[in-house]
Amino acid sequence: MRVHLVTMPWHPLDLPSLQLGLLNRIVRRARPGDEVRELHGSLRWAEFLLERSGGRLRPGDCVEVGSDAIFHGLGDWVFSGVLYDDPGWGVARLHEYAAGRGVFIGTALAMRPYAAAFVDACATEVLAAEPDLVGFTTTFMQNVPSLALARELKRRRPELTVVLGGSNCDGPMGHALHRNHPFVDHVVRGEAEYAVPALLHHLQAGTDPVDVPGLCWWDGTESRANTQTRRTVAPADIPSPDYGQWQAALDASPVREHIHPKLVVEGARGCWWGEKHHCTFCGLNGSAMAFRAKPGERLWAEIDRLVRRHRLLDVVTVDNIIDMAYFRDFLPRVVASGWDLRLHYEVKSNLTPAQLRLLGEAGAVHIQPGIESLGSRVLDLMAKGVTGARNVRTLRECENHALTCSWNLLYGFPGESADDYDSVVDQLPALVHLQPPSGAHRIQLERFSPHFTDPDLGFGKRRPAEMYQHVYDLPEDELADLVYLFDTEPAGISGPAERRLTEAVAAWRAGHADSRLLFEEDGTDLLVHDRRHGRPPATHRFTGWRAAALRHLEDGRTVPALHRLLAADGHEVPVPDLDAWVRQAFAGGLLFRDGVTFVALPTWGEPVRLPEGAG
Amino acid sequence: MTGLPGTVPHRRSGRGVEAAVPLDISGTGRGTAEAVRFLRECQGRALRVSWRATGTPGCDPGVLCHLPPPAELPADPGALAAWRAGHAHGVLHHRRGPDFVTVLDRRERGTAVRLTLDHPVLLATFLRLLEPTPVDALDAAEREALGLLCAERLVLAGGGWAVTLPPRIRQWPVPCTAI
Repeated sequence: MRVHLVTMPWHPLDLPSLQLGLLNRIVRRARPGDEVRELHGSLRWAEFLLERSGGRLRPGDCVEVGSDAIFHGLGDWVFSGVLYDDPGWGVARLHEYAAGRGVFIGTALAMRPYAAAFVDACATEVLAAEPDLVGFTTTFMQNVPSLALARELKRRRPELTVVLGGSNCDGPMGHALHRNHPFVDHVVRGEAEYAVPALLHHLQAGTDPVDVPGLCWWDGTESRANTQTRRTVAPADIPSPDYGQWQAALDASPVREHIHPKLVVEGARGCWWGEKHHCTFCGLNGSAMAFRAKPGERLWAEIDRLVRRHRLLDVVTVDNIIDMAYFRDFLPRVVASGWDLRLHYEVKSNLTPAQLRLLGEAGAVHIQPGIESLGSRVLDLMAKGVTGARNVRTLRECENHALTCSWNLLYGFPGESADDYDSVVDQLPALVHLQPPSGAHRIQLERFSPHFTDPDLGFGKRRPAEMYQHVYDLPEDELADLVYLFDTEPAGISGPAERRLTEAVAAWRAGHADSRLLFEEDGTDLLVHDRRHGRPPATHRFTGWRAAALRHLEDGRTVPALHRLLAADGHEVPVPDLDAWVRQAFAGGLLFRDGVTFVALPTWGEPVRLPEGAG
Repeated sequence: MTGLPGTVPHRRSGRGVEAAVPLDISGTGRGTAEAVRFLRECQGRALRVSWRATGTPGCDPGVLCHLPPPAELPADPGALAAWRAGHAHGVLHHRRGPDFVTVLDRRERGTAVRLTLDHPVLLATFLRLLEPTPVDALDAAEREALGLLCAERLVLAGGGWAVTLPPRIRQWPVPCTAI
């Protein structure tokens, strides 16, 4: 059998498709005699735009439309006119949507005229290889580009088998994709490792795939959806990706000189925290929350192979949360290699300073700790499992170990109130030397999240997000099954409290670059150099028990606990004196207060700060 | 022990370093090669360096703009201004892989040249010249590699000595994606 695997726009240009890399291995492992080819359509699209627009539409524009505009559906919209055979489809709706929200759509408008010719060229290229089956992987805004090409392939060669899979196909979304698009023969819902070989076996034998869990297939004119299995793929059965065809496509591409390619690896699937306490807003793990991790030794062997094969030192992990065992059996191997890797990892926010140091030493210098908020009550509402004090400590340790920390400040949780934010917002100016969030963002309702599955949590009224009106020509009840994001009535803070929060975060971002709050040891004394935005420069000297107290507060303490620790050190400090000193240090912005817990804010390290895209 | 080359007398305190003697950057021999190595190692660690320059740069000053600029460059104040303007952490650096080295070169404003050195002789010569080395000590293959590395402005050669220019990145900036 000849199998053609396709990843359409808007797969990130600087990354190989993990999905294609895995599927390639899955097919060849199960069926060594099959021929597997790949179309890296996102790369092709960037080349196509570069060439046909005479260099006017560049790879950076693909990032703007395909990644940055994910909540406005612009990438899907670019291809909607092809899917619906009407270049004007959805144009008026998009203009109306963009005007109402102040969204820039100029780049998407400039790209759309090229979409039909691109899909045509892709169809010609794929069919030239005479495939028996074309398999699309779809996530985020890949649905419409994939459907547009699938439709054209099927129009030209009706006997071809078209299969869709990927995150966009999980649960009811996959069935809606199938039943509304008759040119899609099969939709694989859930993980591919067991389902795809089983489907290929049925296709070869000409039998109905009634026993392939989760599969959608046509029984005459009726779309059938087999029940999804609760059985997840064992880590031992998850292959190591093959990026050979991606590398060949990249080497031949004029886009190569515009991008900085990175490797993508997968250590784990699912979320070990979500298994215990599912964060109320998160739908990322779809229907497979069960946490499974490859042994650290195996993950390292995969990275070793890929780094040697592709000569790349930047590695992005797709894991939604790091396996804590990796601090013992993976990261030390990275350190021992002596290579200058740069890794991106999503972690939980309650890591210890030693664990954060190990991440830095291993080159895992870009982390996403899921901080989400600095207020403990709001963190409780989202079942995040950390406190505001802990999150502030994590931000401080990121400075100490020169770790780049990507995080968002989320709000809009049912049950939150302005009171939950006031004390945090009041303290944000004192945190200006720590890495700010990308912004303050109201949460959206995501399919698979507890907020979605349990309307009693506060989002009872919901409908498919407005952006889908300019993406799909489908009735609302079908969209309700097909899409991932939903609009709801706003919950939580609004009005002045919302404005105060967003303005305080904007001020944090504006004042961060030149702000420092640094510890320095001077004999047994402790100096704190305060060079934070919005305050006069100052150097504070702490001696005796005060220096010891400030050090103890790096771990976050209550005043009674601090008093006990100082007493154990031999410092007999009257409680009123300690209380007064803590109040004074708090008033000076040297401490963060979370309820009754105080956290010292000065850092020992001073990373080199550069503007994004410097140089 | 400061972890820095001892061939240039210096004092280190925290993240700051002060060169105890003026550094000759005229490109006339071993002194310049040692100065480049010292500054290169400081830059790789993102240390703040205080140093004074003697001589006029024997090469296009843009070749050295990835190194910390001197406090003063009496022979050519214009070059010093350009040096300061072009300097940033990571503008030119290298990273080690298993049997290759990657180099990022953004010394030319508006460009980002990425090179992978995996040819055995080229790689070995690049690594050998991290230590200032007399050109006479190189064999024929290494000299050919030296020519290629000089053409890419990855090695500074002058006065019979050669030294590798890109520091190994030992301190990532925040955000690390800025370089």
